[in-house]
Amino acid sequence: MSFKHRPTVDASPETVPPLLELKGIRAAYGRIEVLHGVDLSLPQGAVFALLGPNGAGKTTTLNVCSGLVQPTSGGVYIAGRRINGATPDQLARAGVCTIPEGRGVFPNLTVHENLQMMTFVGSSIEQVEEVAYYRFPRLKERRNQLAGTMSGGEQQMLSMARGLATNPALLLLDELSMGLAPLIVEELYAIVAQIAAEGVSILVVEQFARTVLGVADLAGIMLHGQIIRVGSPRDLEDELSAAYLGA
Amino acid sequence: MTTDMNYPTEQVAPPTVSYVPPATDERIEQFRDEINDLELKTPADDNERNLMYGGIGLMGFAIVVILAGYWGASGSAIVGEQMPYLLSGGMLGLALMIAGAALFVRYSLSRYLRFWLVRDIYEQRTQTDRVVESMNNVEVLLRAATRPRSK
Repeated sequence: MSFKHRPTVDASPETVPPLLELKGIRAAYGRIEVLHGVDLSLPQGAVFALLGPNGAGKTTTLNVCSGLVQPTSGGVYIAGRRINGATPDQLARAGVCTIPEGRGVFPNLTVHENLQMMTFVGSSIEQVEEVAYYRFPRLKERRNQLAGTMSGGEQQMLSMARGLATNPALLLLDELSMGLAPLIVEELYAIVAQIAAEGVSILVVEQFARTVLGVADLAGIMLHGQIIRVGSPRDLEDELSAAYLGA
Repeated sequence: MTTDMNYPTEQVAPPTVSYVPPATDERIEQFRDEINDLELKTPADDNERNLMYGGIGLMGFAIVVILAGYWGASGSAIVGEQMPYLLSGGMLGLALMIAGAALFVRYSLSRYLRFWLVRDIYEQRTQTDRVVESMNNVEVLLRAATRPRSK
């Protein structure tokens, strides 16, 4: 399946400023610094794939963007405004949506009840379900099923549905493919491509690059807490192995 | 992850209305507005406020120190016995008062001056835009005046 059917993004700086920008970000857990000066620019309406091996700092970068981790130095800019110090709930209410690693669904609640959690944005449960079942018709069949009894792919769909029900302008995806079969991953990234085609800006973090590179407009390789290379997916595809293995 | 298969579930009917994704341009504009409206509290703001209150506290403590020095010095008519109180109470209190006042003035004015600077920059840019526009108008008039007339 080819995902390259979206209009190209005009990312030239003189037209539209980036929707998300990180400048010189350093972040630490206690005294252990894990990000050593990260620069990243996500143009409006684009998909940026942040790739790298385990422990590179990809999830920490995403957590900085969502406000879960405050940087020790550097600036986080959303829609041109420096938002250092913004709490995660402030950003979530504004339209920054994070789909976390490991799904994060409530296993003892049904699909319907999990979706009910997203009415905090002010939408009714009917509106939330409408969005969810439009994107993921399979969830409609499972609406009264406990989330913990669904397959990994369906749980990931539920996780995405909960996020998309908030009508985000900026979507942060953390390892969508973790623990899922390649066929399901392809299905999920087809939906990501659909969302991107509607103009939502997406920053997706992945270890497994092949599938996400088919969706992305830009890609970056992260190693040891720094983004060492940014470019088009086609340019980076050849360098990935060398980057991961430290060649 | 544990699941409780005996958890009672209510059978819920799905919604019947059809969904249309919202216009992204409107959503992006709304997003920009909401981000601009965020009230952000940065650690730097806390530090500034703490230092300003610290300056006020230091001035209060300085008054207490000066009064203690006065109380000690007033208990004796011998200059030699008054000197320690003068130095440790009076001079120290004066030094603390100056330090506290400096902190208070520095951090209470910084916010005002920051706003003043931004306003100044904004007005300078507006003025520059007006000058550029006027020069463009002058250029248009000059070109029109110097254009060779057709025979």
